[in-house]
Amino acid sequence: MQVFLQTIVGGVSLGAVYALVALGFSLVYRTMGLVNFAHGNVVTVGAYLASTFYLSSKLPFALAMVIAIGVTGAIGLVIERVLRPLENRDFDLMLIGTIGFGIVLDALIIMIWGATGRAVPSPVPSAPIDVFGLRIRTYDLVVLAIAAVATVLLVLFLSRTKRGAAMQAVAMDHEAATAVGIHVGRSNAIAFMIGAGLAALAGGLVGPLLYVSPALGGALGIKGFAAAILGGFGSIPGAIVGGIAIGILDSFAAGHFQGYSELVTFLVFTVIIMIRPTGVFGERTVNRA
Amino acid sequence: MLRRRATIVLLTALALTACSAPGSDKKAAGDDSGPIKIALVDAQSGQLSSLGAWELKGAKLAVDEWNAQGGINGRQIQLDVFDDQGDPTVGTNLARKIDSEGYIGMIGTAESAVTIAMAPTLKQAEIPNICSGQSPGLVAVGSEFLFLNGPTSTTYDETLAKYIVDGQGIKNIAMITNNGSYGKGEHDAFLKALKARNVTPLADQVVTTDQKDFSAALTGIRQKNPKVIFLGAEEVESGLIVKQARDLGITATFAGAAPQGTPVFLDTAGAKNAEGTIVSSPYLSNDISEASKKFAAAYLAKYNEAAELHGAKAYDGAQIMLTALKSSNVATGKELADAIRATKYQGLLGGFAYDKTGVGIFATSIGTIKDGKLVAASS
Repeated sequence: MQVFLQTIVGGVSLGAVYALVALGFSLVYRTMGLVNFAHGNVVTVGAYLASTFYLSSKLPFALAMVIAIGVTGAIGLVIERVLRPLENRDFDLMLIGTIGFGIVLDALIIMIWGATGRAVPSPVPSAPIDVFGLRIRTYDLVVLAIAAVATVLLVLFLSRTKRGAAMQAVAMDHEAATAVGIHVGRSNAIAFMIGAGLAALAGGLVGPLLYVSPALGGALGIKGFAAAILGGFGSIPGAIVGGIAIGILDSFAAGHFQGYSELVTFLVFTVIIMIRPTGVFGERTVNRA
Repeated sequence: MLRRRATIVLLTALALTACSAPGSDKKAAGDDSGPIKIALVDAQSGQLSSLGAWELKGAKLAVDEWNAQGGINGRQIQLDVFDDQGDPTVGTNLARKIDSEGYIGMIGTAESAVTIAMAPTLKQAEIPNICSGQSPGLVAVGSEFLFLNGPTSTTYDETLAKYIVDGQGIKNIAMITNNGSYGKGEHDAFLKALKARNVTPLADQVVTTDQKDFSAALTGIRQKNPKVIFLGAEEVESGLIVKQARDLGITATFAGAAPQGTPVFLDTAGAKNAEGTIVSSPYLSNDISEASKKFAAAYLAKYNEAAELHGAKAYDGAQIMLTALKSSNVATGKELADAIRATKYQGLLGGFAYDKTGVGIFATSIGTIKDGKLVAASS
């Protein structure tokens, strides 16, 4: 029983990070119908920026995170601006464009920070909480809380603000949205910016849990992508559920199948997707591809 | 029509020259002029890039020393770097590349899996390779062109088991290893060393090389309450395992081989969490001998960072390769391989004398991590 519960605890904390990565994927997809393949690399950039401000500039962790999110958001804007001429012209080119951006970012990371990674000490140094023999890291609770707040803010932005409503409109029908005077390009830019900001949030938060290296985003990107698909690509609650689900699934597979855990995780994932191709919250708001 | 035929003729001619190019290149390299071309293949990107960076620094230091003294037979040594990304597929492509571009020897890689993947191509091309892996799988390849610049896992883990079981009398041992080439080698070698002592591990957990969350495996181990946990995984993963184990309240001592003595392991785990870790290593510190002190000083001056095991191993490997090149008058192929096998070299890791399997050194020492530093164990 203890192993069971501890496995869930371990899975949920990484699951929260996968969920944040999945949110970024989904937000861009629901707005533009585009899978941003550079997203994983943006996560790495965010992780490096946050750890640089935190370790080298000695800023408080929270401030380092905010600056990293800002800078990474700006990178998101650049990516969207470069890709904008391709929109509505050739979608495949745009997809390949994001892959290209991923490679460029990867190379830039190695040029700036080197190929060797860095360990980030936990900003919450207190000992884990012991609940009936179950150990819960205090930092995990911080990660969960921040992920929850970020999700709530995102949902409020999309449903309560004019800009958010405009983005929803673009997601539903971009031609109709243009007709009523919504600037589709700007809407896409904001989606990319928030997506990149979420990536930085995920990368920055995961730094103290893992090890910041150029390969970080690759692993998180794949799991985050799988999480977004599992929850229903483009769905905000789906990204959250998918992320936590992949985290827990991964944890249990690791416990029971040891060396074959990765295989089992993705087999289960494939079976679920075969049964429910649209994912758990498959709403399909977008079909522009 | 005529024009098309002309194009076909031209293309055929081009194709033919393209095919013959690698062969002619190779002959040119065998010439007695121009620099001696040696390839260094290692991960310069990806999660294992820290290994590659250390290797490059160590090997480059050796090559620069030789070049400063006028090279070999008046020829400079040209060390070119290739990035294998820690990926066997990339490695096999690079093996063909260094063959076609006329390199006469290869240093690296630090990843047993990559080296094993490259070995058949290098054997066929007769390019001697001094690698930094330690998996017994390297020996199993059975290539007379493959050499190791350190002991195999068998030596590391036999020494470790001897210290823990025979020396300390500890029999409550759990194992956690990954399913990569290195981890698999460690798993088999340590298990064999335990079996020889009639010790059965309390737990034998296998994780994947990419795994980030070890809650399940570690909680399982915690319930068995071992005194020592054997780690068979690379630097970063081992560090994460130790960090998460301490978070789960596991107080057992960790033990392992080369990766557990590195700064990356210490940083990832956190110095406090790694305190007391038992390490089996052929190069415990920079102060063990006059040669190591000199090496460490040169390393520090050149790269502004402290030398460690992997740099020292690569330095030894490169020295052996260069010594063999000198003693054989810049031979290539099988002759160079034989020269390496014949080389007796007193290096940073100890005395090298290669046997038929390509292993040149058969001893490691035990160290422990004290106050964030690896020091020789007092036993």
